[in-house]
Amino acid sequence: MQRRDRGTVQAVGAPLTVRVKNSRVLLIGAGGIGCELLKNLVCCGFGSGYIPPNGANGIPSPKHTPGITVIDLDTIDLSNLNRQFLFRKQHIKKPKALVAKETALPFNPAVNIDAQHASIFDPQYTVAFFRSFDIVFNALDNLAARRHVNRMCLAADVPLIESGTTGFNGQAQAIQKGVTECYDCNPKPVQKSFPICTIRSTPSQPIHCIVWAKSYLLPELFGTSEEEANDMVETEGDDQEEVKKLRAEAQALKKIRGLMGTSEFAKAVFDKVFYEDIERLKSMEEMWQTRKKPVSIQFDTIDKLSAAEGAALASQDQQSWTLVENLAVFCHSLATLTGRAQAGESSIDFDKDDKDTLDFVTSASNLRSHVFGVLLHSEWEVKQMAGNIIPAIATSNALTASLSVMLGFKVFRGMLAAESETATTNGHTMVMKPNNPPLGGSKFIFLNPRSTERIITTQNLARPNPACPVCSPVYAELHIPPVDADGNGMSTLQDLVGILIGNNDYAHFTISTEAGVIYDEDMTDNYSSPLAELGIEPGSSGFVTITDDDEDPRADLVLSVTAAPADGGLSIESHISYGKLPLKPVPAAPPTESGTAPDVKSAMNGIALLNREKRKRGAGDDGDDEVDAAAAKRAKAAPTASDAVVTIDDDGAILLDD
Amino acid sequence: MSNGNTDATNGDTATETQTNGLSADDFALYDRQIRLWGAKAQEQIRNANVLLVSLRALGTEIAKNLTLAGIRSLTIIDDEPVVEEDLGAGYFLRDADVGKPRAEAAIPRIQDLNPRVTVTSGGSLAELMSKDQNYYAAYSVIVACDHDFTTLNVINTGARVAQRPFYAASIHGMYGFVFADLVSHEYVIEREQSNMPTTIKPESLTRSVTSTSSKKEPTGKTTEIVQKREIYCPLLLANSSPLPKEILSNRRKLKAVPALLPCIRALFDFQRTFARLPDHTPQDAALFISLAKNKAGELQLPQDTLTGDFIKSFMQNIGAEIITTAAFVGGRLSEDVLNVLGQREQPIQNFALFDFETLVSPIYCLYSPPPELVMPALNGHVGLLNGLNTVAVPIAEGVVPAAEVLELE
Ligand SMILES: [Zn+2]
Repeated sequence: MQRRDRGTVQAVGAPLTVRVKNSRVLLIGAGGIGCELLKNLVCCGFGSGYIPPNGANGIPSPKHTPGITVIDLDTIDLSNLNRQFLFRKQHIKKPKALVAKETALPFNPAVNIDAQHASIFDPQYTVAFFRSFDIVFNALDNLAARRHVNRMCLAADVPLIESGTTGFNGQAQAIQKGVTECYDCNPKPVQKSFPICTIRSTPSQPIHCIVWAKSYLLPELFGTSEEEANDMVETEGDDQEEVKKLRAEAQALKKIRGLMGTSEFAKAVFDKVFYEDIERLKSMEEMWQTRKKPVSIQFDTIDKLSAAEGAALASQDQQSWTLVENLAVFCHSLATLTGRAQAGESSIDFDKDDKDTLDFVTSASNLRSHVFGVLLHSEWEVKQMAGNIIPAIATSNALTASLSVMLGFKVFRGMLAAESETATTNGHTMVMKPNNPPLGGSKFIFLNPRSTERIITTQNLARPNPACPVCSPVYAELHIPPVDADGNGMSTLQDLVGILIGNNDYAHFTISTEAGVIYDEDMTDNYSSPLAELGIEPGSSGFVTITDDDEDPRADLVLSVTAAPADGGLSIESHISYGKLPLKPVPAAPPTESGTAPDVKSAMNGIALLNREKRKRGAGDDGDDEVDAAAAKRAKAAPTASDAVVTIDDDGAILLDD
Repeated sequence: MSNGNTDATNGDTATETQTNGLSADDFALYDRQIRLWGAKAQEQIRNANVLLVSLRALGTEIAKNLTLAGIRSLTIIDDEPVVEEDLGAGYFLRDADVGKPRAEAAIPRIQDLNPRVTVTSGGSLAELMSKDQNYYAAYSVIVACDHDFTTLNVINTGARVAQRPFYAASIHGMYGFVFADLVSHEYVIEREQSNMPTTIKPESLTRSVTSTSSKKEPTGKTTEIVQKREIYCPLLLANSSPLPKEILSNRRKLKAVPALLPCIRALFDFQRTFARLPDHTPQDAALFISLAKNKAGELQLPQDTLTGDFIKSFMQNIGAEIITTAAFVGGRLSEDVLNVLGQREQPIQNFALFDFETLVSPIYCLYSPPPELVMPALNGHVGLLNGLNTVAVPIAEGVVPAAEVLELE
């Protein structure tokens, strides 16, 4: 151990320091939380490797080559630099993962970092890839990627530390298959959408006008997509007659597209949406009985500024533009977008960082706000609402990333305890308590920014939700043998069905892939198709789900697909012996205080994955966990004498090789 | 005004520059944080000169966070030579820096984080110990990390006489604390308007609501703007103040007070007596335990709060620096400093404890009203008494009053 490791060794103990040094860590995301996380991991020596001098025994050998792998799809933007401290101005537009590695390496020259500029959805990131790590840290900014990584970690049975921040708020939690709830055990809020009539006919707030400009007017003029935008939906409350008329209105607008590039274009668009359509709405008296009637405006009656003035105004994003100014920016942005469309851009969609589209959306939404008597806003403000920008600061990211790595230490402490009930280090016998708390005493931790009483709030990790479609299935591997040089030995769906019936005792069942059902009793058309033709082949990151259709169905079996080892045939590798799949959890079971209904619980207990029983928690409240944490701590510190006078010999904890 | 620092500050910078608006570049760079705390708060942050004493693990995190946020200047005092142990959590230092003064070695790399901030060395700690209030008045906030009780008190006293907010903090392995003496601090809290209007009244021994107003949001919701004031006492008084009544009178809350609190007080006492941290010897352990028992009694904590296991764990951690604790404690302190500069959000009142073994982090108000002339009972600092005026004075005259900050509608 080096002198630079002294602080970590003193704080968490030598065995745990060695364990994290010899770990393989996957960090997904090198943004706000990711930069902080990488710094913490590097400074604590995660993945820096440790070979004991003189081959001291008792130290677990690394699972694979120690190191930190960091994956990020993004490139660096100016607005990242206030918090993503591994990046500088000269790095703008470069890949985050690569620059993060370059900046963080000198923090600890011993560390091994593998940086990958890629999407975590890419097919090379298979279940086997995930399984090659001891732990995965999420530092993501979107729901889809979080859910994907959650599922991959469940399938690979690798602990996941999940985290997120918004403004001053932040949270971190540890997730492990069969031990804790997963990211998808509770439904997540969906993106807010508005009824179509509110957006198209009766806006009453600035956001309604912004959605109209961004998801209706811009696509109608410059888009190609036939799909409805997802922030604007038809709801039961919407008047069907009115919806029909709105369709006709949109058709009329499409015709105006034909004028694009002519001198009448701006006037035609303007008068269509701010005069004709508004006049039609005004004529519907019943609509305005409880609402303020809009006031239509006409192109020719508003003063015009020069094109240069319009362009100049567009750069002043802090001030609220007047009606005349909004018209000038509207004409300016319409001309710019027209230029782009005519230069060959077939579809121009809204992007908050595409200034032309932002100018258009800001001015058009403000003009509409004027018509409906809604407050006008500056471009800077509109950008936030239109682009769903979440405020972000350096400190929340730092706090949350710190908590993630704290949880990481606890998870490794739990692993150490599980890996060796007794181990010898430096002559001391470490006696671990048999019933270690799950994940080393990890919690669900929240920042508590406005409290006068506490900085963080913690909750015990909840048990898995037995009805969760993501973590209740049994995950296993489908090994597919290679095809020989003559093209023989190609596995077919029939082969897979044979295995399921023959070895796994299935009778009535359905097989589906991400693309849909490929087999059930009434659907045997694919029977002789090679699995590869059905999208089931090694290297694909998709899953194959086997659903039991028996009266007392067993849990879903979800297969990830890998290449069979040399000479191996088509087979299913599972932690659970064939025929012993647990019964399917009763979906009706509501999350009770224990989180499980009794019969379901016994079924879940049947999942004898690895040494999971040992880690299962009891009723456990805060008090119990504190005792456990203290016990782990005690076991870590060198065992010492009496209560009256405490002696702490540090030879068990401080190892320095000079 | 004469002070020893010519690089970073030139008198009442706060008053001189408050009218300067932010540039388009500022808005582009600080976009995501301005969206959280607003342009006026960012302007006040940009006008701030911060003094940071000590650049070990905790100071490193604070320097990073404040520099990223875009304060005007950061002056760092740490003239101790870099040792190899510093390289673990001191990520602005390299192997080649061993032996160099800590601040000077790290400053170029801190500066590199944000060219808009002036990052300079403030000289030696010894020099700081002889500064008068004029020196402190040049700073908007003073932060002191990892120093002993006596040193912290000298800096706290200087800051208080100059009516400048002061923070102290330390980490010990998985443990840490933040102390705040903001003298008297006015701030606003914005929240969604509820049916119950906030009334103008004292909320606690130290906190009162001074005014309320409201504004309409683009989303159609109404935001209530509540202006509050917190009054503070210096570390010297806080360290001997009892726990607040609402804790002492509630068995459950009193039982939840972590043993870390008496242990930190014991550590202050130990350092005051021996001018060093306790070693891992039976003698020091015995001394420390008796001090901790004393402090637990003084705080009226239940007998079983202070366990042998906890003391063992705490003593094992004393003096240890680990990046996770530094990042959290330093991050939370930085957040408080930035909010204080922007005069927004509830600040720490006045003692936050961090125990990452059990993942608890309570805040206690350890307050005794500071009677005039109580503080500088420290040798050689009687000079600081000049112009002493401790009670309820707005902190920095140059700072824009919070009511104007928000452009109330
Ligand atoms: Zn789940």
